[in-house]
Amino acid sequence: MSNILWNVGYGHFLVLAAVLFLIGVGGVLVRRNALIILMSVELMLNAANVSLIAFSRMWGDLSAHTFALIVIAVAAAEAAVGLAIVVAVFRGRHNVEVDRLNTLRH
Amino acid sequence: MIRILVLLAAVTVAVGGAPDAAAQPAAPAPAIRLSSCTPEILAAVQKAKPGAFNVVCHKTPVRMVDGKAQAARIDSIHADVMQQGKRLTFELSADGRVGGMVDEHSDLVGSSSKGMALLFWAFAAAAVGGALFVVTRRNLIAAVMGMVGSFLGIAAIYMMLYAQFLAVVQMLVYAGAIMVLFVFVVMILNRPEDEPVAPSGRAGQALGGLAIVYLVGRLILMLVQVQPPDPAAAMAAPPGGVQCVAWAAGACTRQETYDWGSITAVGTDLFGPGLFPFEAISILLLLAVVGAIAVARPLHGEDDAPAKARSEGVA
Repeated sequence: MSNILWNVGYGHFLVLAAVLFLIGVGGVLVRRNALIILMSVELMLNAANVSLIAFSRMWGDLSAHTFALIVIAVAAAEAAVGLAIVVAVFRGRHNVEVDRLNTLRH
Repeated sequence: MIRILVLLAAVTVAVGGAPDAAAQPAAPAPAIRLSSCTPEILAAVQKAKPGAFNVVCHKTPVRMVDGKAQAARIDSIHADVMQQGKRLTFELSADGRVGGMVDEHSDLVGSSSKGMALLFWAFAAAAVGGALFVVTRRNLIAAVMGMVGSFLGIAAIYMMLYAQFLAVVQMLVYAGAIMVLFVFVVMILNRPEDEPVAPSGRAGQALGGLAIVYLVGRLILMLVQVQPPDPAAAMAAPPGGVQCVAWAAGACTRQETYDWGSITAVGTDLFGPGLFPFEAISILLLLAVVGAIAVARPLHGEDDAPAKARSEGVA
């Protein structure tokens, strides 16, 4: 137990990434506010980045840094488009709860 | 990291040490770090410790012997050697006898250093706590602030994995730009959430909870057992800094290599093998900007009071 506490290795970083990813998944599944769902998606992208960097250090391969940079750029694009959609939805309906966006269902 | 420490030590000694020695010759003079060892000393050190780099001769300029000031003499020689990923500093005498190890520095992520472990737990707690804040808070601004804390913790985690450039990008792009965008949208919407959790049946909740617990357990068990392909190489400090590439006539040919994860290293990779994704990303960002403007722009035919008022005011 003390070994796990004091001897920080790659498993720790990978478990941290997994925990962050699961919190993101939970946020997407449980919350109804579109903004919180967007933030949870960002959280999942970040968790993927953490595991990428940990594996990069583990294998001594720097190309994962490039990939993580690209993931950050994709996340920025996703945030821009997602927030634009949220603003457009709010302008039409005056709320952003995803449960109420069910017009196509009826 | 090591280079910065050495630089700091050198600057400290250069600023504080020399005037002291000149002003008070009676006091024991502090050692001045000079790397200007004579070629004979370098040759002796190289013979005693092959692969030594950063050989430093500590000189005491004035030394009191029997009440008389004696001229400059070399007090001790320190030589750094890399062994099994650790930087060991040995003390040597001028004729090449190894005195003993005076310092041991390891830059390992998996080192047994307790400070490193404490830092890891602190930043991991910040990252996970911020993430939990995002998922649980009803107040949107509190959620955004939790997200910022989580991103800062993740940036520190990047730093611990020798990804300095990515850590800075994380702070600038995520904690800076993206979260500001979120705050703007939250301020535009300005509506507290009615109910944070989607209602569902009791059986569905229990089943979902069980499935999540099982998946989490399996994932963590799997990740703990992940082994690096070559533990010795993976645990070693990453390449970088000043290294001794060749010895000739007692002198070290130093070569400055770029640090792992630095902007030079990442840039070399980004504009070499990663050039196509880099160019593709620029097109993606352009499309995203155009798309965001197209989606968020108020439509003229729609019943949009502020836009109508604005256009009427202009007209």
